[in-house]
Amino acid sequence: MLCWPLFQREMRANCKVMLIFCGVFTLYGAVIISMFDPKLGDALNAMAASMPELFAAFGMSNPGATMLEFLVNYLYGFLFLVFPVVMILILVNRLIVRYVDRGAMAWLLASPHSRRTLALTQGKTLGLLVLMLTVYATVMCLALSQLMFPGALETGPFLQVNVGLLGMLLFFEGLCFASACVFTESRFSLGVGGGLCAAFLLIRMLGQVSEKLDFLRWLTPTSLFDAYGIAAGDPGALAQTGLLYLGAAALFLAGIWRFSRKDLCL
Amino acid sequence: MSDRVIAARGLTKDYGGGKGIFGLDLAVNKGEVFGFLGPNGAGKTTTIRLLMGFTRPDKGSAELLGLPCFQQAPAIHRRVGYLPGELALMDDMTGREFIRLMADMRGLKDLGRARELTERFQLDDRGKIRKMSKGTKQKVGLVCAFMAAPELLILDEPTSGLDPLMQNVFIDLLLEEKARGATVLLSSHLFEEVERTCDRIAILRAGKLAAVETAGTLRRGKVLRFSFASVDDAGAFAARVPGARRDRERVDVTLTEPGELSALLGLAAAYPVADLEARNQSLEELFLHFYGGDK
Repeated sequence: MLCWPLFQREMRANCKVMLIFCGVFTLYGAVIISMFDPKLGDALNAMAASMPELFAAFGMSNPGATMLEFLVNYLYGFLFLVFPVVMILILVNRLIVRYVDRGAMAWLLASPHSRRTLALTQGKTLGLLVLMLTVYATVMCLALSQLMFPGALETGPFLQVNVGLLGMLLFFEGLCFASACVFTESRFSLGVGGGLCAAFLLIRMLGQVSEKLDFLRWLTPTSLFDAYGIAAGDPGALAQTGLLYLGAAALFLAGIWRFSRKDLCL
Repeated sequence: MSDRVIAARGLTKDYGGGKGIFGLDLAVNKGEVFGFLGPNGAGKTTTIRLLMGFTRPDKGSAELLGLPCFQQAPAIHRRVGYLPGELALMDDMTGREFIRLMADMRGLKDLGRARELTERFQLDDRGKIRKMSKGTKQKVGLVCAFMAAPELLILDEPTSGLDPLMQNVFIDLLLEEKARGATVLLSSHLFEEVERTCDRIAILRAGKLAAVETAGTLRRGKVLRFSFASVDDAGAFAARVPGARRDRERVDVTLTEPGELSALLGLAAAYPVADLEARNQSLEELFLHFYGGDK
């Protein structure tokens, strides 16, 4: 269920988008990891203490003592979620929305491949690019922390956190993909998926600000990504990660199902 | 195996507001070149979308090569060459890369025919599609549609953007494909295009099939416009010519039989003719002529 020539073309055409985001990740990764230095870290902690709500909103209220907690706090709470969502939207636009909107999808549909195969091919391209970004983030963080603070990062739990991150990102991707497949007009096909992702992230930020707003965690699927719990090997957190993967699969399948049936005025 | 390549029965797709197609019946046989003629918005592209399985009919059914259009689209597309009307290619590729991609997606290994077509259309396919003119993009599309030597060609306004020289190249190519035994559905709003290539012509109007005629039957008449020095002369002349339409000092006469011309000119010579124009009947006039103008 893969149209290989199309897959090759899309990987070639969209790899550079992923590489740009790898660059962004490297920039933030390097800055944050270098801050683990106790001297620099004190300054960061002093800043956090001066505006606790703001840092809490970005999920950065709990820097902890270990490199793992430090990275989870400063990278996996916000930055490593928001930038990939932007990348996902760009990719979904390039792989589906624009083809339908401008009409080039007519050429793909007129080929002897079923719509299911075409949608699956685009979905697999999306999935692979996000996987590559996550693998890059993992390797980059491991390498940089090994370089700057040898032995400080516990590899096993850190890998688990990244498996969780991948689940969260695939879920966002599934959401954007399904939205692109369900809606035909580009402002909805991009807007609904992108809008939901942004809303979920905002609700997550608000929920982190104070105890009183804690109930908001029930309104966003991002709560299923519990990086601290995953790092600690908490079975509940691991099960939630499993739910994210299942949700992502369901969203992709729903998108493909809809795409195979809908009218495409090309 | 039946020889029926395109079969539509009661095909209906209602987009609301009178747009769409309504109860269309079509039957095109193997080896036929079938013209699909109609003004913009008549429903040509809507019909083609249904035939290509991009959309599903509200009512009725459509089959290509004996297979249902929506359900069996991949199996049908293996044997069909298609040129979309609203031509959109992948802008970031070069023409050659795009042709290659389309060939690979069809499983077409031999690009010999594609190269031959590229030469015939004098297409420089090395540039980025984004930078190509409309006509050049159209040539890329035509190469993609023809390169696999398909059993059926569905071409939506194939000559749009082509200069007259390339239109002739296209028509020659189409006639060769016909000789090879291919069936062709060609949509156009230009009479000349279908007149030169099609065996039968369907006229589509406001989403309904107005007529299906053989190309010979649909010979167009000439419209002669006489301009006279005065309104009185025009009136006197118009009174002596049956079917003449007068507008102030201008008189339009439609000729359908070649023999009528000299008699008419003889008649006009008795009056001071200031100017004379001749043009072909428009599609709409032809339609009115054939079907008495009831809309």
